[in-house]
Amino acid sequence: MTILTKSFEIFCGTGGVGKTTLATSRALSQASSGLRVLLITIDPAKRLKDLLKLTGDSVGEVTPVEVSNIKLDALLMSPEKTIQRMALKYHTPDLASNRIVKILSRPYGGMNEILSLVEVQMQFDSGKYDVIVLDTPPGAHFLDFLEGIGKIQSFFDQSFVELFTYLGSKTVNAGKKFGFGIINRVISGGLRKLLGYLQKVTDAKFIEDFIIAVQIIYKSKEAFLKGLSLQERLKSKSECNWFLVTSVEQGKAQEALEMKQHAKSFMHQDHFLVLNKCLEQEMSDWNPVDVKLQAIKTSLDSREKELKIILKQSFPVVLEFPEIMSLEPIEHVINLTHKWKTYVI
Amino acid sequence: MTTQPRRLYIFTGKGGVGKTTLSKAFVRYLVEHDHEAVYLTFKNQSLSETHKDSNSETTVDGIREISLDLEESARTYIERRLSSKMIAGWIVKTPFFRALINMVPGFNYLIYLGRVLEYGKNNPRMIVVLDAPASGHALTMVESTTNFQNIFESGIIFDDTRKMLSRLNDPDYTKIHVVSLPSQMSWQEAIELKSGLKERTPVDVHITVNNCLYPLVEQNLKDLPSGLREKALNEKRIIEEHQSEMQCILPHSLGINSKTVELDLVGSLSKLI
Repeated sequence: MTILTKSFEIFCGTGGVGKTTLATSRALSQASSGLRVLLITIDPAKRLKDLLKLTGDSVGEVTPVEVSNIKLDALLMSPEKTIQRMALKYHTPDLASNRIVKILSRPYGGMNEILSLVEVQMQFDSGKYDVIVLDTPPGAHFLDFLEGIGKIQSFFDQSFVELFTYLGSKTVNAGKKFGFGIINRVISGGLRKLLGYLQKVTDAKFIEDFIIAVQIIYKSKEAFLKGLSLQERLKSKSECNWFLVTSVEQGKAQEALEMKQHAKSFMHQDHFLVLNKCLEQEMSDWNPVDVKLQAIKTSLDSREKELKIILKQSFPVVLEFPEIMSLEPIEHVINLTHKWKTYVI
Repeated sequence: MTTQPRRLYIFTGKGGVGKTTLSKAFVRYLVEHDHEAVYLTFKNQSLSETHKDSNSETTVDGIREISLDLEESARTYIERRLSSKMIAGWIVKTPFFRALINMVPGFNYLIYLGRVLEYGKNNPRMIVVLDAPASGHALTMVESTTNFQNIFESGIIFDDTRKMLSRLNDPDYTKIHVVSLPSQMSWQEAIELKSGLKERTPVDVHITVNNCLYPLVEQNLKDLPSGLREKALNEKRIIEEHQSEMQCILPHSLGINSKTVELDLVGSLSKLI
């Protein structure tokens, strides 16, 4: 099995499967072959963060790191910093100062997925890297990251574009000066009705603030749309490797099957299913005599085997990684880096 | 001594620690001890145009399991507030409303939590077991009620949120279980999550360590293959070091699939009450 080098590599998966550790080891394995690699990560466990020196002032900034004599750049996503860079690059200072945008770009807010794509695009534009490895925000579900991108699309969908083009910046100022009533008057019938209903349950000020925030985001649409166009490139077989990570520990076969159903619209078909924390090799030579140990072996074995059968039926390629029995994150990363090497010519 | 159960149990923790199996087993435990209980989980985190918009409910040998749908929950809320099913149905389908729910952090959880509390309100004997989202999302969820007090400064949602907050933050009503595995990384995260939760709510937050190989193989360490032995010894170290902070330690189940694991767990859950 050979994994070709592409400009982008995306790691998706639920929390706790070792996604960040695998993405880190993948980035290191690429960097050790002389490639210029940027690892963008979202939410590493504290000790991995320490290992990558992504603490304090480094948060949200590209940071050169060295692990086991391998050098690469790493970036711990900070939505706030990405917004600041966008505001600077696209000359839209309002973006960095608006109250609601700040709320939307908080961790686990609605803009995390699109902001990580925008960040990847901006870093790619810098021309400094051969490969950008993106460790996506952990979701409750494999698809949370991919579906999250759709959220921003609903911002730019037809009715929105019409609405906010129509409103224009003058209306924002008028709204500020004369209150919500003016915005109300210029908005076409259907939307006015909707906002009226929403006002009954929220309050007028929130809806007004939200509309202003959306207009500010809309003014920066160039940046967001570039992020969205990147999404198209990520669907291309020649530009992106997709790794969907799950672990034996999780044993969520059902999720894998649902994944197969949905994946088509989000990514190309030769993606990789990465199965982490396999115990099979560890147990292959173990033939316990004790009845209790036999039961333990059977329980571990059968859950892993069942999962593998289902995964292999559902995915074109399944990459297996062993569970690393160590307390130290550095050993996990180094062991897995070696394992990646076996998948590359 | 029998302890009176709380009305709402929230199970959270890093992904893959066994929240779902454990919460289902806990519902079974409650039902076997003559309580009325229901298992709830959130089907989706955002509104999309494509998904089916209804809750899915199944009853497996007397155990009710409900997967709440966001759109259904939102529609029900608006329907009650505006007293019109038709208008509610229309509102939740509009792009503006979808964007609002999907973009504002925690709005989805606010809607869900409202729905969750309904189950307890409508039946004063009902115990709700919530299989909640993983770690960071759980913080967003717990925080959402407080956040919305700040975002909406007045109005119906503001008042409703205040009512929800008083329930959720009532230690006699709610209890949170953080589930962890006996590994260094998972333990670290559980501790961080617990302190994060404690900063946000006065209710009890307890840590349960799930799937421990160690106590099971304590007598057989020398018969294990070296890797598994190391795993068991790592677990031993973590358990011994932090035992005082672990409210419940559950051994690795010998079940061969999630259903048998769930049944196997039921007998060990009295400490979770």
